[in-house]
Amino acid sequence: MNTTMHPINPLPSTFFTHRNGRRDLFRLTCQFSLAIGLLAALVAPATAEDWYRWRGPRLDGISTETDWTADWADGNPDVAWTCSVGTGFSSIVVQDNHAFTIGHRDEHDTVYCTDVTDGDVVWKFSYPAALDDRDFEGGPTSTPTIDGDHVYVFSRAGNLYCLQTSTGDKLWQVQIADAAEVRLPGWGFSAAPLVVSDQLLLNMGEAGAAVNKHNGELIWSSRDRECGYGGTVLIPGSDPPTAIFASGRAYVGVDLSSGEALWSERWLTSFNCNAADAIVHDGEIFLSSGYNRGAAKFKLVDREPELVWKSKEMKNQLHTCLLYNDHLYGIDGDMEEGARVKCLKWANGEVVWSVDDLRPGGLALAGGRLLLLTEAGELMVAPASPEGWNPIASGKVLDGKCWTAPVLSNGRVYCRSIDGDVACVDCRK
Amino acid sequence: MTVQRRTFLAGTAAATALVSAGKIHAASKDKKYRTALIGTGWWGMNILREALAAGQTKVVALCDVDSDKLEIAGEEVLDLCGDQPHAYSDYRELFEKEQVEIAIIATPDHWHALNALAAIESGAHLFIEKPTGHTIGESQAIVAASRAANRVVQVGLHRRIGPHHVSGMKFLKEGGAGDIGLVKMFVHSSGGTEKPTRNSEPPENLDWDMYCGPAPLRPYNRRIHPGGFRNYLDFANGTLGDWGVHWLDQMLWWSDQQSPHSVYSTGGRPVRGKAVLNDNEQTTDAPDSQIATYHFDDFNAVWEHRRFGGKGPERSTVGCNFYGSKGTFHMGWRDGWTFYPDDDKKPVVHQDAQLQEPDGHNMKELWADFLQSIESGRRPVADIQIGHQATTLSLLGMLSLKLGRSVRWDGDAEQIIDDPQATALLKRDYRAPWTYPTVS
Repeated sequence: MNTTMHPINPLPSTFFTHRNGRRDLFRLTCQFSLAIGLLAALVAPATAEDWYRWRGPRLDGISTETDWTADWADGNPDVAWTCSVGTGFSSIVVQDNHAFTIGHRDEHDTVYCTDVTDGDVVWKFSYPAALDDRDFEGGPTSTPTIDGDHVYVFSRAGNLYCLQTSTGDKLWQVQIADAAEVRLPGWGFSAAPLVVSDQLLLNMGEAGAAVNKHNGELIWSSRDRECGYGGTVLIPGSDPPTAIFASGRAYVGVDLSSGEALWSERWLTSFNCNAADAIVHDGEIFLSSGYNRGAAKFKLVDREPELVWKSKEMKNQLHTCLLYNDHLYGIDGDMEEGARVKCLKWANGEVVWSVDDLRPGGLALAGGRLLLLTEAGELMVAPASPEGWNPIASGKVLDGKCWTAPVLSNGRVYCRSIDGDVACVDCRK
Repeated sequence: MTVQRRTFLAGTAAATALVSAGKIHAASKDKKYRTALIGTGWWGMNILREALAAGQTKVVALCDVDSDKLEIAGEEVLDLCGDQPHAYSDYRELFEKEQVEIAIIATPDHWHALNALAAIESGAHLFIEKPTGHTIGESQAIVAASRAANRVVQVGLHRRIGPHHVSGMKFLKEGGAGDIGLVKMFVHSSGGTEKPTRNSEPPENLDWDMYCGPAPLRPYNRRIHPGGFRNYLDFANGTLGDWGVHWLDQMLWWSDQQSPHSVYSTGGRPVRGKAVLNDNEQTTDAPDSQIATYHFDDFNAVWEHRRFGGKGPERSTVGCNFYGSKGTFHMGWRDGWTFYPDDDKKPVVHQDAQLQEPDGHNMKELWADFLQSIESGRRPVADIQIGHQATTLSLLGMLSLKLGRSVRWDGDAEQIIDDPQATALLKRDYRAPWTYPTVS
């Protein structure tokens, strides 16, 4: 990421740092005007874009790309290439025709950089790590974050690595959990680092931590309590600039400059497993967890969350919902028991539709269409519509258990299984 | 604690009052029972949801040693029915302060007896999860106290009332499978070796000392709580003390509650590996595989579990097979029941299960039966005596496994015959200040 685009003091406009290497004009627009930036995002033409971080450029899990097709030849997905990266749940990120993810094999986690055209490994970087397969298959659970020529990787055991994007060379490494003196949560750290200006936000401790992205030095950290597993999100237009951390027992709004907790919405879940990212939209915040916890929407009133509605109809054990055209699309229920794909109204939480028998593994949304990867490795495409679940295409792309959401970037769809098979489905027109 | 005679009398008086009140209002479904839940985890809340769905429950109190669980449960109760139950971390305080008519006990096994006896002493009817004790003496104390106080006790053996179990049992008892000579009860799953997990400080929301209670105070480990107590013999009795109670009860139901005259069990941890417990780390210590053989007058029954190897060539991983002179009857869980005639030319007979999902139980029917029992004064379908007998058989299996030899059992006297060492294992030492329940 071109760091010049970030003001030194994180202004609200920082939160709309859309990144697209091919669209300099758009970048400049973002830099100077929040309003125009937002407008540009809404009307942005459906050009290809790099999915350079967890949940994508807008942190909402939604790609604006429309220039892709599920009208596959002979009805089957066109799997351009596959590769094997080892056990794990790490998602895929893409920049400049390279795809990145992490997998575990032989007592090591390995970061892979592959060429998106043929799947060839450009470089890989390994570090010692335990499989740590407590109650699941184990392996890395966080997703790398790309920031220009730097890739940031946060291991389950609390090691933070900064690698050179072009070469995979390690620039620095810190044991950041030890530095911050915070404990590991039950299943280890899992949230992708989030770059905001010169800071790297990490979900660890009671309410996150910030690290200098240039050298890994701790800027601020929070109390030694269990963190949750969800990714960190930003509240657009907040003053002071605020990030929401998924903590073990709450979701916490934190002042980015000081690390001070501005508010905390108590959110108790069995096993402290708050794994879904908060969704922020139009001054409202949506939270959801599994293990029968359910969901709730809050309105920020005087910077404090105030309950609007709550519901047991959307229990996101792992996957964050997708908010699109005033509807939430998501996976409801605990994965092992066979979760449901649902559509809820954002306004009141009312269930619009629910499909019970899909065995969903991960859900994405691009150009108005849902991409569902089933647990068994089938990729299904359906309009993201309150009209119902009406798939227009489907086909097997992977064997084995898939629990990682697919990613669409530049017309290619990346799917992975827990065992570490990655399939690239070419959906370019 | 001692279940004292004066307690019996007080309890009886209260019982009389309750029964007559029940008779007056027998036809009324408006009666709301003041209900307390002890143990607000996954299963405890499943029971409470059924109780609320039945419409005759006012939740007055919740109790847990994990304040997070307690808070989540309180919020859910408020959402479900508008009740705002008082929250307690100590069940003794709860029964002292609240006038509880129904107590639901869903704590780990090692707490069942003390929780249940306190509930009965306070005059409450009881819905208690199986097993009814961690050792046989505890279970006996609950039977004695509840009978003396004339309290209704339903044990959470929902397979006593599940539709396919009822119809399957009718088929068996009418001789559908002929004369039964062997019963095999089993649960199989997958698994491998187990590496020790680091101990840690208990979470701030957990009163670990109270969690351990009468059991030894061991280092906290995240694998124990939440949700892992069954794999630790200080708190439970492994798979035989869990699943085993359900399937032993099916066998006892078919046999009209006969008692075995001897029990032998073997097993261990050949795949998971030797149990580890030290200051730094620990593993589980329940057996990964076990066989227990029960000798009855006219048949034998065998329990078998393994937590490795998967399904293998068998049709089912869980259930109870009755082998008879006409064929084999399989009583299953989600697969319902099936009778396979020994003559291949005869048709297979099958009935599907009718379960409440997602957890595959029949708690709705069991709770309805519990309420009817309280109203009518009759014994419930999974009465304490029934739960006690199934629990006793599972614990005799565990006791034989620990001793490494067979034990002879006098079912009428509920005593081990001529074996002081085995007899000593009918009880356990409690950690102070807790005292083992005795019947005086």
